[in-house]
Amino acid sequence: MFDYLTFGLLAQLFINGILFGTMYGLAAIGLSLIFGTMRIIFLSQGAVIILMAYCCYWLFTLFKIDPYLSIPIIGLAAMVLGAGIYQGLFRRAVKMEDKNITLLIAVGLMFLIENLMAVMWTPNPRSISTGYTSSSIPVGGLAISFTRLMGFVMAMLSTAGVTLFLKRTLVGKAVRAASEDIEAARLVGISPHWVNTIAFAIGIGLCGIAGIALSTTYPFDPYFGFIFSLKAMIALALGGLGSVFGALLGGIILGTLESWSSFFISGGWADAVSYGVFLLVLLFKPEGLLVRSVKKV
Amino acid sequence: MENRLLEIKDLHVSYGSVCALWGVSLHVPEGSIVALVGANGAGKSTLLKTIAGMNRPKNGSILFSGKHITGLTPEAVVNAGIAMVPEGRKLFARLTVKENLELGGYIPRARPFIQKSLEQAYELFPLLKTKSNQIAGSMSGGEQQMLAIARSMMSRPTILMLDEPSLGLSPLVVKMMFELVEELNRKGMTILLVEQNIYQALKISHYAYVIKTGKIVLEGKGEQLLSDPEVQNAYLGTME
Ligand SMILES: Nc1ncnc2c1ncn2[C@@H]1O[C@H](COP(=O)(O)OP(=O)(O)OP(=O)(O)O)[C@@H](O)[C@H]1O
Ligand SMILES: [Mg+2]
Repeated sequence: MFDYLTFGLLAQLFINGILFGTMYGLAAIGLSLIFGTMRIIFLSQGAVIILMAYCCYWLFTLFKIDPYLSIPIIGLAAMVLGAGIYQGLFRRAVKMEDKNITLLIAVGLMFLIENLMAVMWTPNPRSISTGYTSSSIPVGGLAISFTRLMGFVMAMLSTAGVTLFLKRTLVGKAVRAASEDIEAARLVGISPHWVNTIAFAIGIGLCGIAGIALSTTYPFDPYFGFIFSLKAMIALALGGLGSVFGALLGGIILGTLESWSSFFISGGWADAVSYGVFLLVLLFKPEGLLVRSVKKV
Repeated sequence: MENRLLEIKDLHVSYGSVCALWGVSLHVPEGSIVALVGANGAGKSTLLKTIAGMNRPKNGSILFSGKHITGLTPEAVVNAGIAMVPEGRKLFARLTVKENLELGGYIPRARPFIQKSLEQAYELFPLLKTKSNQIAGSMSGGEQQMLAIARSMMSRPTILMLDEPSLGLSPLVVKMMFELVEELNRKGMTILLVEQNIYQALKISHYAYVIKTGKIVLEGKGEQLLSDPEVQNAYLGTME
């Protein structure tokens, strides 16, 4: 029997998956930019997202600033933080042959942020509750949560913004050029430090957006970040490095997969399915599911 | 004495413990074509890369318009007016032709003129205009070499260094390539040309240096070197 209930349920799961997946997608875009320009696997991405979620939470709790009004504040602060992380932690390390050093710095930063958050704000889960938290918008018999829809819209807009920046501005083109071939980029006069700073500013700026989306939709605790980083990497493997919309789409596919598998199999299987998919993609199409192979000159 | 636009004095460069250049000295007069020829592994690319700021010399100095540029970053060297078309072209393969050109004008000195430089590039290479939205990596070898030269011209250089521009091109395109180099020179561009295509390189150059295992072993006017038995021997026989 395929009645309306099952169809409605499937659709609802699908929509939830998409909305959650956009957060993975945002994290994946940042990872992709940072990896693309510097070959750094920035494992602290998830922890930074949680940190931003806490910022949003405290702006709301202490200063009564509506989460959506805090977008410009947190977005800007996150970009500055990103530039600072590059200048302070990675500027010297990116020049080194040994890429393990940057990975270790990223892991160290993750532990630092996690523990800082746990000490400052206790390991208890938090969530933001506003007047509109539980409101939903009816669409053709389905109820779409307002906050998740907002998260989706924020993700789409920031992805479009990043894409426009990379495609239309000279500095954005320089970031793409440097990701492709840093030596050639230097020969036309592109400064690696400038490009790297920008990649970090955008990557961490997107963490700000993802943090706000997260804090308004789900409870979070200081240690949630690592899983988030892993999921972002899976999203990246699905979408393929080097494509902003691919990364977002990878996140959405992953979110949908998780949402379905946690319903049809059981909650605990959602992660197993994600990692399974990750392995399969790495085994059979390591350049990313959604990537056309591009030949190098 | 002619005006020495670029002057290299006693340059020593090594990769780790391997010495690639042993006290190379040469100069490029303003408005001339100077060729640097030699066998594989002689150190030609190493010299150009060192001038471009990609390698740090152990010893020696590089003077550009009389000023020391030794040890500058590649970005600073381009901005000073030295452009290099590297071996293997090094285009941004996934970017379009137009994007490659625009990035050629990225440096502060050239950025205000990007639109103007773009028009000039299209005038010199009408083909690039018709392909402006094509992905650079999908062009033919000859077209890519043209794009690489056009991209380097976008930085409005005073001197252009070309590292084996004829590499991997068919004979007809090679001929066009050398004609282009001559044309650029006629328009006033100073050129330092690295080539394995010795005959053609010596023919169009005003002065030439022969480099062998990191040392300059011969130098002279292009035509003069062409008739040199040693060069003829090396050119006609195997380049060891
Ligand atoms: N990155 C590097 N690390 C170590 N050794 C290098 C490096 N680049 C070049 N060499 C060595 O330095 C020497 C000079 O190389 P270079 O590339 O300058 O030669 P070339 O004259 O340009 O040769 P070709 O005509 O083949 O391009 C060679 O012995 C080469 O093996
Ligand atoms: Mg070479």
